[in-house]
Amino acid sequence: MDAFLAFFTIFTHLELLLLVGLGTFAGVYVGAIPGLSVTMAVSILISFTFSWDVLPAISLMIGIYMGGVYGGSRTAILLNIPGAPSAIATALDGYPMAQRGEAGEAIGTTTVMSFFGGLIGIGVLALLAPFVSDFALKFQPRDYMLLAVLGILLVGSLSSGSLIKGIFAGAFGIAIGAVGMDPLTFTERFTFDIPLMRGGINFIAVMIGMFGVSEALMQLHHVNKDAVRQQINRIVPSFGTIKKYLPLSLQTSSLGVIIGALPGTGGDIAALMAYDHAKRVTKNPERPFGEGAMEGLVAPETANNAAVGGAFIPMMTLGIPGDAVTAIMIGALFIHGLNPGPMLMIEKPDMFWFIVGALVCANFFMLLFGLTGIKLFTKIVEMPRAVLIPLILLLSIVGAYAVNNSITDVYWMLGFGVIGYMMRHYGYPLGPVILGVILSRLLDDNWRRAIISEREDLGRFFHGIFTSPLSLVLFMAVVLIFVSQTPLWTKFRKKESS
Amino acid sequence: MNHEHVHDESHEGHADAQPGGLASERRPGELAFTIVLVAFSGFLLWEAYGISGFEALSGPGAIPMATTFVMLVSAVILLFKAARLKLTADETFMVDITPPLVLVLAAFLVVYGLLLKPLGFLPTSALFLVASIKILARRSWGFTITVGLGSLLLIYLIFRIVFSVLIPAGIIPEAEIIQFFRNLFAGGA
Repeated sequence: MDAFLAFFTIFTHLELLLLVGLGTFAGVYVGAIPGLSVTMAVSILISFTFSWDVLPAISLMIGIYMGGVYGGSRTAILLNIPGAPSAIATALDGYPMAQRGEAGEAIGTTTVMSFFGGLIGIGVLALLAPFVSDFALKFQPRDYMLLAVLGILLVGSLSSGSLIKGIFAGAFGIAIGAVGMDPLTFTERFTFDIPLMRGGINFIAVMIGMFGVSEALMQLHHVNKDAVRQQINRIVPSFGTIKKYLPLSLQTSSLGVIIGALPGTGGDIAALMAYDHAKRVTKNPERPFGEGAMEGLVAPETANNAAVGGAFIPMMTLGIPGDAVTAIMIGALFIHGLNPGPMLMIEKPDMFWFIVGALVCANFFMLLFGLTGIKLFTKIVEMPRAVLIPLILLLSIVGAYAVNNSITDVYWMLGFGVIGYMMRHYGYPLGPVILGVILSRLLDDNWRRAIISEREDLGRFFHGIFTSPLSLVLFMAVVLIFVSQTPLWTKFRKKESS
Repeated sequence: MNHEHVHDESHEGHADAQPGGLASERRPGELAFTIVLVAFSGFLLWEAYGISGFEALSGPGAIPMATTFVMLVSAVILLFKAARLKLTADETFMVDITPPLVLVLAAFLVVYGLLLKPLGFLPTSALFLVASIKILARRSWGFTITVGLGSLLLIYLIFRIVFSVLIPAGIIPEAEIIQFFRNLFAGGA
């Protein structure tokens, strides 16, 4: 019970409260400005806050995360440009609404619904995580290994892209994570006899490169694109509107939490799946989807904010990130000497409740900033990209340098920026790379633990999988992902739908 | 102006939920990129084999070998897929993949990395910001220098003073300058 009191820490410490507020405010704008994403902001921020205490650092990051997932919706509605990946689906109906002069209503409803979804996500996190972590104590090393593989595969299989490209990206990430001295045997891995490589590749440099530099380079394609101004009317939505869409938002929030809680998949995938769900269940929308249907706005926005709470579940209970941002946060917790996983929940439950409190707080700030400051907002979003892009690049460099005060990290970052840029052009997802880097060690450790406990016998290893219900379920999920990509399965699905 | 090339944003991959690329056609440079991936994966697999070979399933090279093997197999499959697709007629490498601006900015970044140690953070960043804003915005020198130096000052104040980030000092004795101001305020208080 004492630990639960940590929930209130954030509300009783003015400094932390202000940091969450500042983070959320910054997050709303980071999310809103096209070219700045939450993943980018949190990965740059991690390098600047690592000398801080853990609570202020986490407060700031949580604020940015919550605000950023929401912030993208505004640009999606006003400019038809999703400010953040999680707002792709929001633009589909939000922009048509703005064109009809209903931008204010669209923004207001989006804000309230994001708040609502966010609360549900946090609620589920608070209720479920303690049980999951108890359950997680029963996890065998092979279960952790399977879960990590599942997380890396899920992004590729649930997205609209190619699973094989997702698999390549994930394996690439694991290989990057393996560079350096093997912690168990002190054997050098992928160091090419270069002394500098022995310490491994700094994962923050990889993240900033992949999400900061590659995005900035990509934005160079649109330097001269002008923003379209929209008229904004009343922004606070009526109670009637909210009540009307409550049932749908409950469904899509639940969907959002589940997608968020699956290892690896976060708000962007949740939003697109929720949009599809709304299209299926809404029989008679007032307006057709794609032409300004309110349902098409409510669904993705509740889902992506609900996914935030969801993504923290596997992160806090298993140490397996729920999405790319929580992958970076795991990195931040590592830096601060904390090891997310079931033991953290048992040894430091106050940390868990502090995070829950900070999330709730960030959610309220999001509501506040979402319903105000629209004038300032339009000014900031219209910041010319010609200035924004060099600034992102400069921040990325400072961020990469600041981690170890090393120029080598800057070069790594630039290199991964170019690789990330090319990968994006050819349709490779970047999330699995980061998940791979973060999960590499966990995968390696648990595989070796599992196979040693089975006396190096693969037959016994698989026998273990097939005789433990949990391992079997995880194993079947991995197999299912592969089967779902085979031509046979596609044929079967087509037959079923016709 | 009517013939201006239209760049399709959907090929860029805004998020993992909707990665970029083309599904039904091959983008310019895709084949070469995939060949590089195959070669790179093969090389890494060879390296991984060198770690501990097939000595033990729990050896330090087991996971590296497994992952690089997965990389190689998936890259080979992707190569076959890419080779079968028809090259798109709508795009060219120099316009849609690496337009001159991307190359110029990438070159700027490399130069930045080279100059950072000898010159220090402030002069290098000032040069970088002014040069890149000038090229991207094509506005007057007055605008470029004001915006460039103004934002540099802001970044410097936030990160150096608030976040206490260490940066290469180079030719400007900025640590001494900060200390001078600190002493000034400490003395005045």
